[in-house]
Amino acid sequence: MKHFIYLFYTFGAILSCTCVHAQQVDGDLLAIKERLDAIIAYEAEMSLDIQADFIKMPTKYASVTYTKNQPLEFSSDDFILIPKKGLDVTMSQLFEHPFITVNRGFEKQDGKTYKVVNVIPNDDKSDYSIAKIVMDTVITRIVSSEIHTKKEGSFTLQMKYTDKKAILPEQLEIFFEMERLRLPFNFLGKNAKIDRKKMRSQEIQSGSILLNFKDYKIKYHP
Amino acid sequence: MIISGKNLSKRYGGLKAVEDVNIQCNSGTVTGLLGTNGAGKSTLFKLLLGLVKPDEGSVFINSIRPKPIGGIIEKPCLYSYLNARENLYLFSKIQGAPTSKKVIDGLLEKVGLPLDRKDPVKNYSMGMQQRLGIAIALINQPEGLILDEPFSGLDPIGVENLRELILELAKKDGIAVLIASHNVEELQKCCNFLYVIQNGTIIKSDTTENLISQHTTKYYIVGKSLMASPVLKSYNPKHQGSSVEIECGTADIGKVLQALTAQGVTINSCTPKIDLHKLFQQTEL
Amino acid sequence: MRVLFWAELFKLCKQRRTYYALGAILIMEIIILFSAYYQGRSFIDLLLTNFKETFYFEGNLLNGNLLVYVILNTLWFHLPLLLMIIISGLLTAEYKDGTLQTIFLQPVQKLKFIAAKYLAAILFTLVSVVFLMITAFGLSYAIFGQGDLIVYLDTLNFYEPDDAFRRLVWAFFSGSVTMVFYAVASLTMAICFKDATITWIVAAFFLIVSSLLIRIDYGDSLFGEILYAKLGESWQYFFHFEIPWRQIIFNNGLLIVYSMVIMALGMFIFTKKDIS
Repeated sequence: MKHFIYLFYTFGAILSCTCVHAQQVDGDLLAIKERLDAIIAYEAEMSLDIQADFIKMPTKYASVTYTKNQPLEFSSDDFILIPKKGLDVTMSQLFEHPFITVNRGFEKQDGKTYKVVNVIPNDDKSDYSIAKIVMDTVITRIVSSEIHTKKEGSFTLQMKYTDKKAILPEQLEIFFEMERLRLPFNFLGKNAKIDRKKMRSQEIQSGSILLNFKDYKIKYHP
Repeated sequence: MIISGKNLSKRYGGLKAVEDVNIQCNSGTVTGLLGTNGAGKSTLFKLLLGLVKPDEGSVFINSIRPKPIGGIIEKPCLYSYLNARENLYLFSKIQGAPTSKKVIDGLLEKVGLPLDRKDPVKNYSMGMQQRLGIAIALINQPEGLILDEPFSGLDPIGVENLRELILELAKKDGIAVLIASHNVEELQKCCNFLYVIQNGTIIKSDTTENLISQHTTKYYIVGKSLMASPVLKSYNPKHQGSSVEIECGTADIGKVLQALTAQGVTINSCTPKIDLHKLFQQTEL
Repeated sequence: MRVLFWAELFKLCKQRRTYYALGAILIMEIIILFSAYYQGRSFIDLLLTNFKETFYFEGNLLNGNLLVYVILNTLWFHLPLLLMIIISGLLTAEYKDGTLQTIFLQPVQKLKFIAAKYLAAILFTLVSVVFLMITAFGLSYAIFGQGDLIVYLDTLNFYEPDDAFRRLVWAFFSGSVTMVFYAVASLTMAICFKDATITWIVAAFFLIVSSLLIRIDYGDSLFGEILYAKLGESWQYFFHFEIPWRQIIFNNGLLIVYSMVIMALGMFIFTKKDIS
């Protein structure tokens, strides 16, 4: 089993709680944040499916281990592509620095009505400029988010849950955009048909990666 | 008669390689085909052996054996990376001939090749290669043997050994042997009958004895005190060391030798010299 | 016919150049492996340049499967060239050394002889491809280990090790049909030209033309679909995510038909020609 570590540092809820001005932050979001902050560690089995026209990859499997204030750890026997953004299901990066929220009303998804807020950081240290959070206020969890980073574009997360009480999603879809592949002509595959004009046009292509989690083992604050 | 060609003709483009040739060879005899380089000897042999199809004429083989005729054209062509035994084994196998050690040994012995050599035939001398070529030609006991320039490239001992082998094959095994050569001396030593080919046409054919006698105009005599003999003076002698070349036909040579002996001259050898220009000159057959 | 086939195999086994050819294949592979060792990582980097902004990668892509794929890509020009030289030599050497003449001074039928020659050429080709396959997998796995195979064919395709191995083995089998085509063509060339050097030049020219024809885009035209050079690339289809089996079977079937036609033509010419 190969173990590796990526820099998903989660500084946790304690720091962020002290910095938040309560009157400027949506109460429902704070409730969700409290639920998420209660998680100190979790383990899960994960499957990854890339859904993009330009990548053909079979379903990959990995284990994920999260410990508060520690980097996320993955292990897999396969070659896997792990999205740099969006895997932080505890949203610790979003809530890491002080922020305010702006209420954006409600939005319908799959026949259900959810509350929408914009999260705007108060601190320059945050690596995002704005985020849109769609929340299920009844069962206190996030349904989807759209996060605009300062340097690395934007990405959208769609979360699905099977258990009504679950705080962590069983399905997470991360949408991403990237430039079309620019490969030298006839590289490896002789039949590779590379359109040189399109190569120059730096065409943007989008795709998503669908992560299915199972066998969550979550540890909460005592 | 084992092999005969009737009215054989072959052209390569505009060149007439063989034209209206009639030739035959009988069992137990050695027949020679004498011709200069490019006279058409090899083409004629290829026609007789079926390697080349004639434009006109036909070849008759009077044999019911699986391999009626064996042969070598120009030089023995062997698999140089194989040893003699492997060559014989391979060529025997492809024609369904016996390949037992005894049979292979028998072939090697027949042509006088050592049984114990295991190195590739590329190491063999030309004489040994010729012998192996003949051994391959003899696989499956053919009734006829066609040998194109078998003496070429051989040293004098090799030539003599090969000649003895050819004569033995004809005499002992009753094989009809047809030999082509440009070397009249060698052919006259082993052939019963001779054909002379020039520009693709048979210009002369007769028994070796007749053909040689008709075209012998000079003799080399080697002996002691030849210089002093007055007998030779009327034959335009040319002295070359201890030998003398005299202008004399077959009709007179007996008288000359008798006279020299009577004079007490010791004669070591007397060799006829054939007039090649005359021999290769076309005359009425 | 069976003994003639045996004789051809006997000659092949006894000739040093047979082993030189196999040695040459091995040396080419080793050179490619070394080159891949030093350049492979930068190839992978190039291939995944755009992904780096969005993804982290876990796992080794510079592995045995990729190396076997690289060997496949590079040897499909070198291997036919080598095979064409060796296989045409099966006959041109016999013309040159005169052994063909000695053969036909024995009671041997021309048709059976040349058919045996073609069969031996096909068998040698298949043995060479199997040798290439075994050594390619052996060396690549021994040096670079197992792992996912990454291939770019319009899309960036990833195959898991077992799937990659299966596809690579199929590619070798499919490629062997192509190699047999070139082998049969080279023997027919040898029949036509007799002389080794001329045959080699013509064979090399044929290969160069073939490789140029492959690069031309014929669109969906019938010509493009039935052109031998394009058919010879069918092994690449095994690296499409969904393997187009019908296309592969059609292409290889047609290539086999072409090979048989070329073989029949060679046999016809050989039986009509004088041995001289």
